[in-house]
Amino acid sequence: MLTYILRRLGLAFTVLMATLVSAFLLFFAGPADPAQAMCPEQRCSPARLAQIRESLGLDRPLPVQFTEYFSGLFVGRDIPYAGDTIHCSAPCLGMSFLTKRPVSEEIFSRFPATVLLTAGVVVIMVIVGVLIGVLASTVRGTALDRILIGGSQVFGAIPYYVMALIFALYTTRFHSIFPQAGSMSEGLLNFLPGLIAPWLILGLVSATGYTRYTRNSMLDSLSMDYVRTARSKGITERKVVGKHALRAALSPVVTILGLDIAALLSGTLVTERIFEIDGIGKLSLDALGRDDLPIILGTVLVTAVIVVTMNLIVDIAYSFVDPRVRLS
Amino acid sequence: MPGAAAETDELAREVAEAESGPQLEDKRTGRSPGQIAWHRLKQDKVAIVCTMVVLFFVLVAIFAPLLTSLQAVDPVTGAKADPGTIHTELVDLNGFPKQGITSAHWLGVEKGIGRDLFARWVYGARPSLVIGFVAAALSTIIGVTMGLLAGYLGGVVDRIISWVIDFFLSLPFLLIVIAATPIIELRFGARGTLTAEQTSNIRFWLIIALLVLFGWMGLARLVRGEVVSLREREFVQAARAIGVPTRHILFKEILPNLVGPIIVSASIAVPAYITAEATLSFLGAGLVEPTASWGRTIADAQNSFQSYPLWLWPPVIGISALVLALSLLGDSIRDAFDPTTRR
Repeated sequence: MLTYILRRLGLAFTVLMATLVSAFLLFFAGPADPAQAMCPEQRCSPARLAQIRESLGLDRPLPVQFTEYFSGLFVGRDIPYAGDTIHCSAPCLGMSFLTKRPVSEEIFSRFPATVLLTAGVVVIMVIVGVLIGVLASTVRGTALDRILIGGSQVFGAIPYYVMALIFALYTTRFHSIFPQAGSMSEGLLNFLPGLIAPWLILGLVSATGYTRYTRNSMLDSLSMDYVRTARSKGITERKVVGKHALRAALSPVVTILGLDIAALLSGTLVTERIFEIDGIGKLSLDALGRDDLPIILGTVLVTAVIVVTMNLIVDIAYSFVDPRVRLS
Repeated sequence: MPGAAAETDELAREVAEAESGPQLEDKRTGRSPGQIAWHRLKQDKVAIVCTMVVLFFVLVAIFAPLLTSLQAVDPVTGAKADPGTIHTELVDLNGFPKQGITSAHWLGVEKGIGRDLFARWVYGARPSLVIGFVAAALSTIIGVTMGLLAGYLGGVVDRIISWVIDFFLSLPFLLIVIAATPIIELRFGARGTLTAEQTSNIRFWLIIALLVLFGWMGLARLVRGEVVSLREREFVQAARAIGVPTRHILFKEILPNLVGPIIVSASIAVPAYITAEATLSFLGAGLVEPTASWGRTIADAQNSFQSYPLWLWPPVIGISALVLALSLLGDSIRDAFDPTTRR
């Protein structure tokens, strides 16, 4: 058990390190020139560009920059900027070229919006998905089953962003059925109503997978001997389905959920863009438009950490449930 | 259970057919899993309808120039419409088209610069389909090769490939692609030195490359798992014992057993890639002008949807219908290959 966990931890660590190095190289050793993007005039003279690069510390050799970035992650560092010094405490992900604030501050200030969005989506996704899945499994083979499963198949197959866009345009902008997104800084009560529309659409679209998954899992457990035993004892059908069958059917669903939350957290990009929610996704998309490399690098790293951690948790939790995993 | 009788019937029929072997001359041979799947697929109405929808879009893409030339000559411009030419004379001072649907412009013209929307719609089917199918083919080849190598060779090779799979799976795909696209683009020329067409071309192949780079891992993992168990089977050991070369064992002995999962995975990959392309184009990291792309049109049209919904709806319907048909077809193919499915 311990060796499995250690091996899994080692794997997660090397994957994160590789992500860090490759993302750093891609952004800072690549041909992108942040100085060019930050140049206030239409065309900067080479001398002006060199000055901008120097002020950002981009003129120094790459290993020096990397070592500094790397140590900043764990102990924090001071970033000199234009004669001034900005302190950036651990975990320091650098300083935004544009706002001159530490990247970690920028990211963490946007984090609650993304987490709130994801949390609501998960709730809707699980409740709707499991309810419809169970319902479909109990009426297996009937027209209702076909409508529910076919409907979820069709609903889930249409490209998400197209559906979210049409939904957003017609329910929040054209007709004001749902309120538009507010700003997180104006308080939670101002912010939450704007999340109703994205919760609904992302939650319902994500629920389609769970519907089919729950239905299949339920069909498996409904055909088990203990369900037949329960039925023969004369327990009401509702209890048979709700207690005996559902409990067994839920454990694989929960496993998938762990992996999905990580994907959802990093996949709210499109939703945040369409509904204009001030979360991590919008932060990184905005940074891309303005070549704010430290922000992009920071968001890539933070999402990678979330994905790797969630995978790790699911894997380790699963190895407790199913000992066969440890041996493979 | 109401479905039970039908299931038994289907089972009995399949068994009977397998025994009589209607398509085979040699009565002793049963049908291969591929043949069974093909037989099931031919009876699946959803699959047939979806195939026709996909074929429709393929034909639209192939005959895009012909379809465009079917429109009448525009009396104002004095020429037939094409997807690229800008006609500012067709829009008024506010950018709105002077006319709606006419015989010269079946779907009207673009707001602002007056390009023909029908031409852009039919040409827009091209990048979606090419990117979807080319990326799916390439990522399938890479995924299968990696999976075969990792599974069959084992040891260090397996560990390295498995690590690379884990690595790519933990990267936030959309974010990396969006971030990397402009950076890689700069490799081909500094900002402002490339023409719009060159940029568009680079973007096109870059999207395919990035989709393949981030798309092969699922299949590789699947193939690896299958190969690990097949490797120890008698027929592989027998082949090895009589000195069959490794390459031959991999491609002639093991690979034929994996045709089912590979076809299923490829058919599910095509709609996923088409969606990814449209999403990237929508977010601004995909195709750029002047290439006609549904994702781009949707991004441009969304701000005028209230005053000019005709601009937005055709590409929305196009991409939705195409991806829906491909996804449902993929589901049907998966069900057809799945021996446990009973419908």
